[in-house]
Amino acid sequence: MAEVRPDEVSAILRKQLAGFEKETDVYDVGTVLQVGDGVARVYGLTKALMSELVEFPHGVFGMVLNLEEDNVGCILFGESSKIKEGDTVKRTGRVASMPVGENMLGRVINPLGQPLDGRGPIQTDKFLPIERKALGVIERQPVKEPLQTGIKAIDGMIPIGRGQRELIIGDRQTGKTAVALDAIINQKFTHTEQSKKIGIKPVYCIYVAIGQKSSTVAQVVDKLQLEGAMEYTTVIAATASDPAPMQFIAPYSGATLGEFFRDSGRHALVVYDDLSKQAQSYRQVSLLLRRPPGREAYPGDVFYLHSRLLERASKLSEALGGGSLTALPVIETQAGDVSAYIPTNVISITDGQIYLEPGLFNSGVRPAINVGISVSRVGGNAQIKAMKKVAGRLRLELAQYRELEAFARFGSDLDKATLQQLRRGSRLVELLKQGQYQPMTVEKQVVSLFAGTNGYFDEIPIEHVQRYEREMLEMLELKHPTLLVSIAEKKELTEDILTKLNGVLKEFTNVFKVSVKA
Amino acid sequence: MKNTRVARRYAMALMTAAREQNNIEGTAKDMEFVGKTLDESREFRLLVASPVVSSPRKREVFKEVFGPRVGRETMTFINLLTSKSREAILHDVAQQFKELHDEKLGIVNVEVRTTVEFNEAQEKELRTQLERMEGKKVRFQFVIDKTIKGGIVIRIGDTVYDGSVSRQLERMRERFIAGRAA
Repeated sequence: MAEVRPDEVSAILRKQLAGFEKETDVYDVGTVLQVGDGVARVYGLTKALMSELVEFPHGVFGMVLNLEEDNVGCILFGESSKIKEGDTVKRTGRVASMPVGENMLGRVINPLGQPLDGRGPIQTDKFLPIERKALGVIERQPVKEPLQTGIKAIDGMIPIGRGQRELIIGDRQTGKTAVALDAIINQKFTHTEQSKKIGIKPVYCIYVAIGQKSSTVAQVVDKLQLEGAMEYTTVIAATASDPAPMQFIAPYSGATLGEFFRDSGRHALVVYDDLSKQAQSYRQVSLLLRRPPGREAYPGDVFYLHSRLLERASKLSEALGGGSLTALPVIETQAGDVSAYIPTNVISITDGQIYLEPGLFNSGVRPAINVGISVSRVGGNAQIKAMKKVAGRLRLELAQYRELEAFARFGSDLDKATLQQLRRGSRLVELLKQGQYQPMTVEKQVVSLFAGTNGYFDEIPIEHVQRYEREMLEMLELKHPTLLVSIAEKKELTEDILTKLNGVLKEFTNVFKVSVKA
Repeated sequence: MKNTRVARRYAMALMTAAREQNNIEGTAKDMEFVGKTLDESREFRLLVASPVVSSPRKREVFKEVFGPRVGRETMTFINLLTSKSREAILHDVAQQFKELHDEKLGIVNVEVRTTVEFNEAQEKELRTQLERMEGKKVRFQFVIDKTIKGGIVIRIGDTVYDGSVSRQLERMRERFIAGRAA
C-alpha cells in the first residue's frame, strides 16, 4: 500500500466537508416501555406504520408488528439485552427491506442481507422490501418448464415445474434436507454451455436455513462449495441462536431475493428449511406480543403466515419476462403425524408434497419417498415427453406391486402373472434407490426408467440391479453418446430412438447376464 | 405508564362532570394541585400506591391533605377513585386531565433543549415561529442539556426537530464512513 501523507488526508476530508450543510433533522420518536425476549413495547411513535423499520439505541433495529391504542409492539433484530426501559426509539420511515443483487450469489447472509461469511461487504445497488405482496392472476402463467431435481423417483413420478411449490415433508432424519440439497446441486447443469444449447435456462438457488444448528449450516455450505454449487447459490441463515424475529423473517428474505431473479426474467429456486421452526418462532413472537393463542398455541394468522409466503412462488407471464420462482418448503413432522396443525396447513397451500418415511429410510430405500401418498399437482405439465412416456407406467406398476406385496409375504403359490408383477416391482424399487449428491441428468433417467418398465431388469438378480444400471449408463456414454444427446435435444422418444435403444439394451442385457453367472 | 388507558377514562369522566357543573377551570386547577402535591412528596406517592394501607385510612388522609384546598366535586372524585381501589392511578389521572384540558384549549407542550438559557427576546421569537407552524398555542418546557453540545432540540409530541451540534457531528461522522466505503 502506498504511504498516505497527512496533508492528503486533510485534503480529502476537506473535500468531503465542503458539501456538508448544517441541517435540522426531523424525526419521530417514542419511548421503550417494556423490553425482553426479542420484543419491545414502545410508547409514542404514533405515526409509525405497520412493518416499518425502527431504530433503537446501539444500532439495534426493530420492526413494527403491533399497532395499539397507546403503544406499538416491535420485534427486535438484535440483542434485546442492550435495550432498556426509557430508551428512545426513532422511526426510519422505510419498511423492513434487504439489499438484493447478483453479488449475493456465493455468499452466506443473515435475513437482513448482511454477510455472515467474513468475506467483506456485498456491493449491491438495490433494496427490496422483505414483505411483498404476491403477484396477481394477470401477471402469471401456468407452470410449463421442468425443474430437474436429478432424483429419479421425483423427476419420474412427482415432477416439479418451475414456479411450483412442492412440500418436502417427513420425520427428522429421513433425508428432507438431502433431497433439497440434491435439487440445488443438480441445478449446476443448467449453468453449462450444453444446457444453453438445448434451451434450458439457468436456475439460481437460495437456501434458507431457519432455526438450524450453526454447525449444520456450515456443513451444508461446505458441501455446496465442494460440489461447485455455491457459485449460483445464496445461503440465508437464521440459526438456532439468532433471535426469534430473525428466524421469523428469514423465509421472506429468501423470497425477496428469489423475486429479484424472477422479476429480471431469470429462474430461481428457494428452499425453506424448515417452516415448522419458522412457525414456532412466529408463535413465540406472537405470544410475547400478547396475541391470542389458537390451536397448538399458534396465533390465528399462522395459516396466512405460510400462504402469503408460498404464494410468492410464481411463473411470470411472457410479457413480464417469463421468469419463475420455485419454492421447496420443508416441514418436519413428529412421529409421522401429517395431520398436525402446521403440516396440514402447508400441505393444503402447496401444489403437492414429497413424503419421506423413516420406515423406508431404515429399510434402505433412499431417498425414502413414499410414492403412494406423494403427489405433484401441476408438475406433470412440465415433464418432458420422453419422461412422461416412461414414468406413466412406472407409477402404475409400483402401485400394483405395493398391493400384491402383502400377499407375497405368505409365500403361498402365486400364479405366473402375479409373480411377474412382484418381480418387476421389486426391481423398480431397487432401481429408484439413488445415492446422495448423485444427481442424474434427465436423459439418463429416461433410459434407466425405460429399461425398468420394459422388463430389461426382470431377469437380473435384485442385488445386481444397481450395478446393471451403472454399467448400462457407462456403456451408453462410451459407445452410443449420440443416443443420449438426441434424447436430451428432442425431449421425446421417437420411433427411431426407441428401436435403437431397444437394440442396445437387448445386447447389453445378454452380455450382463453372462457376467452375473460368472 | 401502563395505566394510561384507565387513567384517560377517569379523566374524561371528570372532564364531562366538570363541564356539566360549569367548573372546568376550577377542576383543572384542583387537579394540577393534586398532581403537584404527588410530584413533590415521595412518601405521599408511596402511601397512595401502597396496598397495605386500607381504603378508609387513605380516604382520611386525602380528606386532610386535599379537603381544604380543592372543590367539592374534585374531592368526590378522589373518594370515588378510592372506593374503586384505583387511587394508585390518581397521578396518571391528573396528568391525563391536564392533557385533555390542553387539547381543549389548543395548547401544545413543547420541550426545548439548549445548552444555555434563553432570554426573553429569543423565547418570544421561538414562540411566534412555533405558533405559526403548529397553529396552536405553545407552552414551553425549557431543559438545559449539556450533552447536545450546542444548538437546539425541539420536541413537539412525538416529533423531534434536531438542530443540535451533537447531531451534526454524528451526521458528519456517518458521512465520512460512507465516503470511505464508496
